[in-house]
Amino acid sequence: MSGLLELRGLGISFGGLRAVDDLNMSVEEGQIVALIGPNGAGKTTVFNMITGVYKPTDGQVLWQGRDITGASPHRVAALGIRRTFQKIRLFPQMSVFENVRAGCHLQARQHWWQGLVGTRAQRREEAALAERTHAVLRRLGLHKVADERAVSLSYGVQRRVELARTLVAEPKLVILDEPAAGQNEAESAELNDTIFAIRDSGVTVLLVEHDMNVVMNVTDHIVVINFGRKIAEGSAEAVRTDPAVVEAYLGRDDEAEDAA
Amino acid sequence: MGTFVQQVFNGLTVGGIYALIALGYTMVYGVMRLINFAHGDLCILGAFVGLTLLTGTAASGQPGALVLLLAFAVAIVVIAAAGVVLELVAYRPLRKADRLSAVVSALGASLLIENSIMLIWGPNVHVFPAGLLPDVIWHVAGATITFVQVMIIFASVALMAALYYFVHHTLFGTAIRAVAIDQDAARLMGINVNRIIMTVFIVGPALGAIGGLFIGVYYRQAYFTMGWTYGLYAFIAAILGGIGNIPGAMIGGVLLGLFNAFAAGYLSSSWQDAITFGLLIAILLVRPTGLLGEPVAENA
Amino acid sequence: MDAAKKPVTRRNEAIGIALWAAGFAIPAFASSSWVAIAAMFAIFAITALSEDVILGRGGMFDMGHAVYFGIGAYTTAILNTELGVPIFLTVPAAVLLAAGTGTLLAAPLIRLRGDYLLVATIGFNAIFVLAMQNNPGGITGGSDGITGIEAPSLFGIPLFSQSAMFWLDWVVLGLVLFLMRNLDRCEFGRALRYLKQDELAATTLGVDARAVKTLAFAVGAGLAGLAGTLFAVQLSTVSPSSFVFTESVTLFAIVIVGGPGSIPGVLLGTALMFVVPEIFRDFAQYRYFVFGIAMIAVMVLRPQGLWPRRRNGL
Repeated sequence: MSGLLELRGLGISFGGLRAVDDLNMSVEEGQIVALIGPNGAGKTTVFNMITGVYKPTDGQVLWQGRDITGASPHRVAALGIRRTFQKIRLFPQMSVFENVRAGCHLQARQHWWQGLVGTRAQRREEAALAERTHAVLRRLGLHKVADERAVSLSYGVQRRVELARTLVAEPKLVILDEPAAGQNEAESAELNDTIFAIRDSGVTVLLVEHDMNVVMNVTDHIVVINFGRKIAEGSAEAVRTDPAVVEAYLGRDDEAEDAA
Repeated sequence: MGTFVQQVFNGLTVGGIYALIALGYTMVYGVMRLINFAHGDLCILGAFVGLTLLTGTAASGQPGALVLLLAFAVAIVVIAAAGVVLELVAYRPLRKADRLSAVVSALGASLLIENSIMLIWGPNVHVFPAGLLPDVIWHVAGATITFVQVMIIFASVALMAALYYFVHHTLFGTAIRAVAIDQDAARLMGINVNRIIMTVFIVGPALGAIGGLFIGVYYRQAYFTMGWTYGLYAFIAAILGGIGNIPGAMIGGVLLGLFNAFAAGYLSSSWQDAITFGLLIAILLVRPTGLLGEPVAENA
Repeated sequence: MDAAKKPVTRRNEAIGIALWAAGFAIPAFASSSWVAIAAMFAIFAITALSEDVILGRGGMFDMGHAVYFGIGAYTTAILNTELGVPIFLTVPAAVLLAAGTGTLLAAPLIRLRGDYLLVATIGFNAIFVLAMQNNPGGITGGSDGITGIEAPSLFGIPLFSQSAMFWLDWVVLGLVLFLMRNLDRCEFGRALRYLKQDELAATTLGVDARAVKTLAFAVGAGLAGLAGTLFAVQLSTVSPSSFVFTESVTLFAIVIVGGPGSIPGVLLGTALMFVVPEIFRDFAQYRYFVFGIAMIAVMVLRPQGLWPRRRNGL
């Protein structure tokens, strides 16, 4: 059995610090998988290795069985893998529309010279991509703020803009780094529906989340890591009662501080 | 053998001057992440201020050394004051703005100072008066070494040692280094960042004024575009040693001076300059933090 | 809403086109020295717009842009005076050679960030000028440069008059403005903006940073090369002093003072640097003194530039 995305013995060191060590996990197509763990456990580092932001020192990242370890971020994006960031990274000088439109970059087939000359085919493509962007904006309820400067909006809306920017590319896998962070209760409840809707549209979801309401209610499969190592995995129910997990979370006060 | 020793002394003299000027670039870059393009022009302004005093008092029959000391003192005070004004007017308002704005403001300040010199002293080459310093010459291993060279080398070394002591062994120097590492953290520790930056804009131009006046005394001439030429060399020296790094600027200055002196023995001056710039680019590509530089956070 | 369709964008474009069209009438009422100034404005506007591709839109600190301008000018001068190639036929060579140099230099340059990039481009500019002065192979004419460049001829009719030359420059400026306006609306231009604002986010969206930045250098350098041809023709002579570092600083300042990424801003900046001094000819020696003050004043009072790019529109 080979998953859509598979990590084999993945590890990375920063100087002397072993941030992630011998991580094995698999994400099956159509699943919602969560990667959880205490602060500083190395979750975002794993995402950064998958998306090419960091080059792993050991192990492999397999995409549909193909080794993509160490590929640069734009190549990873071209495979159909899109991500959001824990600390939201929207283009600060751009409107919501423009930010989401940026997600279509690889959908644009125009050559640079066609763009400079403004050929008919290029203009038609621009119109089509604008329409595609509007469709996603409507789907995520962002059409009313399309012309607002994205970073002037509330945190929760900004997260949705970033999500829209990944979805507009119709990716195979979206990687969400703490999608519920900074959202109020209503927004976070709404997020569960959104994640289900993403999955139902045929997109596989891998997420890091602290909000247990989200993690326990939406995920098919959970992987727990601590100090860069996997300590448990399984269904929400199995993970919740796993002694290693309980200890990792309860022991958090005295240990996690050092790791963070 | 004779030429070798000669080039070493020529190189050390010029290198000492480069180092004095390079310190101003590197200190400002260290605390503000700004290339102070006006620094070279400030230094040459120092040369002109000194020159005016020298020519004014040379006829008075006072002893040369006394006149020279006075010229240095006045140049230092005037240029340090100019440095403070520069900081207050052109840089402080832009501290929170985009970095490019500060770069353009610095370029504007450079044009302003350079052309002020031209408007005040005219576009011609000015010759420094002769006979101020003893005409002593030493012959060492076949090389000829002048009193001026020895004076410049000694003075540069002494000034650099003093600066090194100031930055690394006094509380104020520690504060400067703290601001260079992390301005916000330094502020939280109760350091008055504005005062530190102001100090850097006093110390850097003061050293630069000495360097500028040395250039005048050594080459016995001054002209208004000289700030660019020597400023650029000193700036390359700062990059060579690792911009933002104070000992680096000293070493970079001396190395560049030696490099130029030896290249001059074998190459025409224009290709020599081309090689200097080639060297600069090579260093930027291979080791952008310079020979001694610590990695500088570029996202700041 | 698609910004290209905004009524305000349409209106501004209409005003721009009308002003450009009206410009053709300049020779009808201006003296020939003013027509020459207008021609120089057009040439430097093209150069400044080409610098804007790299600096304003790409956010890459290129302070050696006079190199590409110079390569275009020298290519035309050498091909025309040495080999007798007609001016119009030198254009592809000037553009391609400048663009090729831009591409070649971009390979190492784009690895550098911010100030380091700026310093390296200063270095390339200095090397270029020194190389031209040293007259390699006896083809650049050393410090005196090359003289005797012919007037271009169109369908066998030489464009001797200053007015004809101005019209030619004005047409080319119009073409470059058209390209710049399209740059705002195409994927290449957008990708540059993404990279400038957040390179990491851009690459995770699939933007190939190396390719896009190299292309920006190539396009910016190529357009500067085109302007170089016009410059060589306008003066009928080229020499190293026209492409020194100070020229690069001026181009850099035009973009930042005018407004990075803003077409009207860059045009305004060009006018301030090249046309206004002509009005105050009697005070010529104060020119750079005033520039210096103006550069500081504009940056302190309007750090975004005199005519900044509109934020939400395109």
